[in-house]
Amino acid sequence: MNIRVTYAAFRQQMTHFLTDPQWIIPSLIAPFMFTIVTLMIFKDVDGPIVLQAVLGGGVLGMWGNTLYSSGWSISYDRYNGTLEPLMVSPTNLMDVVTGRSIWNTLIGLSNAVLVFIFAELMFQTGVGLSDPLQFFFILVITLASLASIGLIFSAFFVLTRASSVLMSSLEFPIYVVSGAMFPISILPGWAIPISYILAPSWGVDAMKIAAIDGYTGIGPGILGSLGIMIGLTVLYIIMAKWFFRKIERNVRNHGTIGRF
Amino acid sequence: MEGFNVMRTARILAHSSSLSIRNTFAAIPWWLWLAQVLLTSLFSMAFFAFVADFAGNPEVTVAYVVLGNSIQSIAMVTLYSIANLPAIEKHVGTMPVLISSPSGLFTIFTGMALFQILAGFLTVIVSLGYAVFIFGLDLSAMNYEVMAAIVIITAFSMAGLGMMIGAIGIYLRTGMILASVVSYIGLVLCGVNFPVSYLPTWLQPVSYSLPLTYAVEAARAAAEGATLTEVFPEIGMMLLLGGAMLILSWFMLRGFERMVRRNGSYEAF
Repeated sequence: MNIRVTYAAFRQQMTHFLTDPQWIIPSLIAPFMFTIVTLMIFKDVDGPIVLQAVLGGGVLGMWGNTLYSSGWSISYDRYNGTLEPLMVSPTNLMDVVTGRSIWNTLIGLSNAVLVFIFAELMFQTGVGLSDPLQFFFILVITLASLASIGLIFSAFFVLTRASSVLMSSLEFPIYVVSGAMFPISILPGWAIPISYILAPSWGVDAMKIAAIDGYTGIGPGILGSLGIMIGLTVLYIIMAKWFFRKIERNVRNHGTIGRF
Repeated sequence: MEGFNVMRTARILAHSSSLSIRNTFAAIPWWLWLAQVLLTSLFSMAFFAFVADFAGNPEVTVAYVVLGNSIQSIAMVTLYSIANLPAIEKHVGTMPVLISSPSGLFTIFTGMALFQILAGFLTVIVSLGYAVFIFGLDLSAMNYEVMAAIVIITAFSMAGLGMMIGAIGIYLRTGMILASVVSYIGLVLCGVNFPVSYLPTWLQPVSYSLPLTYAVEAARAAAEGATLTEVFPEIGMMLLLGGAMLILSWFMLRGFERMVRRNGSYEAF
């Protein structure tokens, strides 16, 4: 990995964002609305269930941002005509996308915090975290796992100009199967294994165990869920690296990137 | 000023709607577009159905939520897509060409909106199918003619709202953000997932100024077998609000065209 390239990409992404920060709104609006609706449906309920909804909303916020930014990270290059120069430059594409993803991850974290704050201000849930430091650590690792899924998607977005369609198609399935707003045990039997292979499901589980007194979670406990999430995240990064190499080689060999 | 010419207007509508279809499928293959319609409808409905199931609120059952989301799906497609039309033209740099054409922005965008309205019909049919076959919604008592009328009028009224939002978006640096914000408001304000009475009292008049609130109320009544006469107040309000919004959007688009032509200030927005 070339740190200098990654840092340059990070700075470039930061500059793009700060030039026009209003683009945080589209990735924030759906999770925010979904959290409000969930809290309204949980009428007259308080305590752990409300905290679960608020935590879930934060995770949705992070996921919305990850997916949105990973898709646009490549689409903007395509739109601005910089994708071809990027592909033929001697730097590794994954190093560039990683730099951008790190910045987007930081923004994802702010998304989660914003959803927490808005939910608290609007609904005055009055719930507290039993171990804020542990919770924050799990939140950051969960965010990294979401970013690693974003890396895999970014690789595929190199191949297609339909990334906006893919983004909106992929947003809701993760909302459902990650169990952010409700336990995955209420999902149909066939959907539960899909939840298990998604790192964020384990992150959500660990977060809920850390935050909610008496919450037992999926089964392996806080350290077990954290371990599985880290393992899956590493696997995603290896997969993303492999996909980037294959796709990069493929589009260079065929010279067809402008056609997609 | 040239008078209204039916044939000329029909020709512009046909051209712009066919252009809208070609633009859509030039950017993405038809199967991916269809997959998006099918997946987004299913999973957005599933999300709220599972939340309702978990919450166990007797007033907000799974059936209540899936029916509301079926109607919301048409609003989501038509409102977002139509509100986004001017924003896309600005984004790709074709807005100055449209403004300088003698056809008029309102007619051009109305033509482009026709395809989105058709897409909305497809989405609501698919969503009602999911509601019945996956989430077990009982529509045995439903008055099909009344439901069809509600869906058509909902599409019209949401198109009116979409055109108005799109017109506002022209004055902004980008209208896409406004479009995405407004398209989700229905989830919270219009009784889609929980009764409007759950909202704070000061917010409820806002709900009743949006056509989707009446659409959802009418659809719930039609699902229980209500006749056209029984849902007429809701349908009347949808027509009134949708018509008023269309007229307002016409004035806004005309005003914008005139201002920009007079001042040469397009790039200022």
